[in-house]
Parts: sequence; C-alpha cells; structure tokens
Amino acid sequence: MRSITKLSLAAAALVLTGTALQAQSNNASITATASVQTPINVVGAQQLSFGNVFPGVNKTVNATDLTNGGRFDVSGQASTPVTLSFTLPATLSSAGNTMPIVSYTGVHAALATQVGGVAFSPAAGATPSLSGLGALFVWVGAQVQPATNQAAGVYTGSIVMTVVY
Amino acid sequence: MKRESWILTLVMLLGVPLLAQGKPLTVTGIRGVTFGAVLPGVPRVVLRTDPANSGQFDIKGPKGGPVLLSFVLPLSMTGPGGALLPIMFGSSDAGFSSTQSIGSQVGFDPRQPTTVIFPNNGNVSVFVGATANPGTNQRAGAYTATIILTVTYL
Repeated sequence: MRSITKLSLAAAALVLTGTALQAQSNNASITATASVQTPINVVGAQQLSFGNVFPGVNKTVNATDLTNGGRFDVSGQASTPVTLSFTLPATLSSAGNTMPIVSYTGVHAALATQVGGVAFSPAAGATPSLSGLGALFVWVGAQVQPATNQAAGVYTGSIVMTVVY
Repeated sequence: MKRESWILTLVMLLGVPLLAQGKPLTVTGIRGVTFGAVLPGVPRVVLRTDPANSGQFDIKGPKGGPVLLSFVLPLSMTGPGGALLPIMFGSSDAGFSSTQSIGSQVGFDPRQPTTVIFPNNGNVSVFVGATANPGTNQRAGAYTATIILTVTYL
C-alpha cells in the first residue's frame, strides 16, 4: 500500500511536469510604418478686384487677368493630384446693399506666370496636380452686374477655395 | 509489484504525448505592415490579403494542437517630434493560414485573443492588416509602431 502511495506521487509529478512544459508561450513583433507626405497649404494671395464699377454697367475680370484676378497659392506634396472646390458668393454686399456677382471663371497652373494654365469652372471645381515642386496657382474671375440705381459704396464678398488630396 | 509496474508504464505512456507537444514554439516576424506614402487627411488601408504590405508572422508549434493567439496592438504610430498618427485594427484585420498561404486565410479579430488549431505539420502563418488615419494637418515624416503577437500552448 505504501508503494502504491509513492507511485501515485510519482505519477502526479509526471503529469504536473507535463502540464508545466505544455504551458509554453512565445512572441515576436513586426513594425507598422507610414511615410506622411507634405500637408496642403493654401494662401489667398491676391484679391479679386473689380475696381470702379458704374451703375447699370456690367464689369468683368477674367481669370487670366494677372493684375485683378483673384489668386490662391497652394503648396503640398509634389506631383500629387488634389481636388479644388469653391464656395462662391452670389452677391457682394455694402452696408445692407447687394450687387450680383456671376459668371465665375477659373484657371489653374503650375507657375505663377500662368504659363500652361488650364481653364475650369469654379462652380464645378477641378482636379489638377501639384507641380514637381509641390506648387499650384489658382486664379478666379467673375462679372459683377450693378443695377442702374446701385447704391454707391465699397462692395465685398468672400470666395472660399478648399483643397484636399 | 507487477501491477505497480503496469500503472507506472501507463502513466509514462500518457505523459510522453503530452510532453511531445511541448516542442519548441517559435514565432517569427516576417514582414511589417507597410502603409507607404500617406497623404494628410486621406485614410490608408492595408488589407491582410495584401501580399506586399500586410504584416506576417510565421509560427512553428504543436502538431494539431490548440494555441492561443493574442496581439498587443498600437493605437498610433509615432513620427517626427513625437507626432502621432492613429492606426486602427478592424474585426477581420488578422488572418490565420494553416497552409502559410496569404490566399488561404481565416479572418479573425486581432483585438481579441483567438484560439486556433495547428495543422499536422505544425507550421502556420498569421497575417495582419490595418488602417492609418492621418489628420488633415498631419506632420510630414516617417511614422512607426510595433505590433506584438504572443502565441501560447493551451
């Protein structure tokens, strides 16, 4: 009987040893990597300027007008496509008076000289690519339509351009 | 005494298979999760079935044995100046392949410990995918994080 007890202890030890060996664990790691590209930066570089406007006389500033056309300068990751979208005012305001602004036009180009520029409709947006240097220039033109009894004053409105990759 | 010998022999025979399953368990990180070029504001998804960019671990373990797989997953990757880039793991972003083939996986949730059964040759692979969510003003540069897989015999 005593030898049976010893045997039981031995058997239990064997089983326990087996269990301990079985509870084995190991691990390894890998790395997640990403290379974040240059964020987009947009600057309103030049205002869209109609200058003097006379009641009853429509006035147009073309997007190709480097002096008076509105211009946005965009910088970001080189040679990467972007989407341009606009919020365009329907009127300009002055002390409670309004003046219609219509017929928006646009040009985008890789150079500030507008060489190689591409015409587009700001209302529809555009999907150009940034240049090899990560630059893009966007011009906006439009027409104002003052009424014959348009109140005198300085009229302003905001044109917002949004650029996303 | 004869009966005692039989009992001892039986116990040893039972013990041998248990111990045999305790052969060395190895886990090897084969390939990292590679998001490549990521644009600010544009999420980048790497599927676990992506042969070039998904992460891969190879495991050698018990033949036909149940094994617990558990991950330590990062919440973000760290970049220049300590900038953080969020990384997310979905409910099927890990895959277990008993043939070590990326084309033959059973998806599982890497966020939860998962029990799998090893094939008779004891060799398996685990693949991992993820999503990087850069902010629109995410700082440019290289970002990294560590994914750990722990494998435990059951």
